[in-house]
Amino acid sequence: MNGVVSIALNGFREARRNRVTSVLFVFAFIMVFSTTVSVEFTVATFDRVMTDFGLGVIGLLSPALTLFLGTALIPREIERRTIFMVVARPVSRSAFLVGRYIGNVITVAFLVLVMGALFLLQMQFAGATSTYSSGIHREHLIALYGLLLEVVLLTAVSFLFAAASSQYVSALSVTCLYFIGHMSEDLYTLAGRSKSDVIRVVGRAIYYLLPNFDRLDFKARATYFDPTSNAELLSTTGYALAYTVLVLIVATRIFERRDFK
Amino acid sequence: MVTAAVSTENLTKIYTLDLLKGRKRVVALDGLNLTIGEGHVMGVLGPNGAGKSTTIKLLLNLITPTSGKARLFGLDPSDAEARRNVGYLPENPSPYEYLTGEEFVRFAGSLSGLRGAELTARVRTVLEQVQMDRFTGVQIRRYSKGMTQRIALAQALVSSPRLLILDEPTSGLDVLGRQLIRDIILAEKKKGTSVLLCSHIIPDVEALAEDVAILIGGKLVRSGPVSEMLSDEGSRVELTFEGVDAQRLSPLNPEVIQDGRRLIVRTAAASSRALIEAAHQAEGRLISMQPIRNSLEDAFLEALRNSQNKVGSTIE
Repeated sequence: MNGVVSIALNGFREARRNRVTSVLFVFAFIMVFSTTVSVEFTVATFDRVMTDFGLGVIGLLSPALTLFLGTALIPREIERRTIFMVVARPVSRSAFLVGRYIGNVITVAFLVLVMGALFLLQMQFAGATSTYSSGIHREHLIALYGLLLEVVLLTAVSFLFAAASSQYVSALSVTCLYFIGHMSEDLYTLAGRSKSDVIRVVGRAIYYLLPNFDRLDFKARATYFDPTSNAELLSTTGYALAYTVLVLIVATRIFERRDFK
Repeated sequence: MVTAAVSTENLTKIYTLDLLKGRKRVVALDGLNLTIGEGHVMGVLGPNGAGKSTTIKLLLNLITPTSGKARLFGLDPSDAEARRNVGYLPENPSPYEYLTGEEFVRFAGSLSGLRGAELTARVRTVLEQVQMDRFTGVQIRRYSKGMTQRIALAQALVSSPRLLILDEPTSGLDVLGRQLIRDIILAEKKKGTSVLLCSHIIPDVEALAEDVAILIGGKLVRSGPVSEMLSDEGSRVELTFEGVDAQRLSPLNPEVIQDGRRLIVRTAAASSRALIEAAHQAEGRLISMQPIRNSLEDAFLEALRNSQNKVGSTIE
């Protein structure tokens, strides 16, 4: 357990100092801060535009960083043989992978939380200074929570592919999976209308087998103040965590068997 | 019963390559039987692709054997406990570059179970040992190759291992760096640490190791104490004379080299007395007499010649 904590904290410390992550952090702040500018092009629907723009920026940058870090980290460590000095110690490979996973989630979640705080500050400021804005709502917080769940699940999927293949193969595969996962409900509906049994089965298989990222997306609801029940929130959390644990179990099994040539 | 630090039994690793022309088998290591006793230093020599790194990877559970067994202090390397007493320095180490040297060594120590004051004390000790205590706050990406090598050695030493596995520890280092690492290995040897030393630098192996194993094409072609490999020609001597005509010695049929006024003569030790007497009668003077010793390099080159200069793994 101590090994997992050491590896996780070490991963977070390293990612924090990494130049690419730092540049992305600065870029993220600028993008979220520019939400205020978007209001200049708006007549009366301040809340809607600010929510759409602010959460949209966070929803774009967070999976981008998750994909970049999640798919590159393990293959790069294997290629540079840095991993040799860690797994040659009395640490299991599973502990290494889980530690690296937690470190990655902390890094991206930290970015999402900082961007989210900046976004909420702007919403609060707009609510206090403009009659067209009503400040922070519960839906804003739920949307940010959904983005954090997405980071947790997407990082696990990235690690699954990275544990088994090269950086480029896993980056490409996870990107495709991310977009399919955001469209799986649409694919399910479309496939259900098909007359072909094969298409209906494939649509259903995609829906049930692949991670349903759309289920974790509450951004549109926040934009239109569409309320989310606690029961739905709980089941979504359960879905994301259960899927994550399952994916991590498979990833560690693969990683335990892998030869580091 | 004394448990060996390292033992292997018919250890074999075969990789399969899927090529356009079909599937090929690469025999990286073929039936290796090797034992390193506790407190012993074993040097492993071999050309590129001989199986040295494969052996190390198998011992550290970085790859799984195709067949055969490896043991670290009697335990299978896949058991994390087996690796608790092992310190490993890889070839061309690449530590986490955004960490400082001290953070990296501390991280390595924490993975081996060190905590609190004990960890702090060990980190300080090994950083002083590798003479990196002045650069502890500098990120590794700003280190030179030699500094990185020293920090990587420090992480191998931090847990006070009973077995050190060192893959090319002195490659790319300057004279001072090489001397420092050699001194550290000697100090560890004195403390009773077992060492597995893979190196291309044969004089280093000759100076540090008690036993040597020569791997060629994935096979162990020769192994034994270094002293035995060096004494193969111990029955021959080299004599240096001054003021002697080579022809006066020719009836004794020695191997003669004329070096200016000096005459260098190589012969069987048994013939040396007769040669000295012949030189004395010719009013010559004996300058020096020393036994001819094979260097480890000679033994290695001979083993390589016997294996038809085979370089690289066997591809089937």
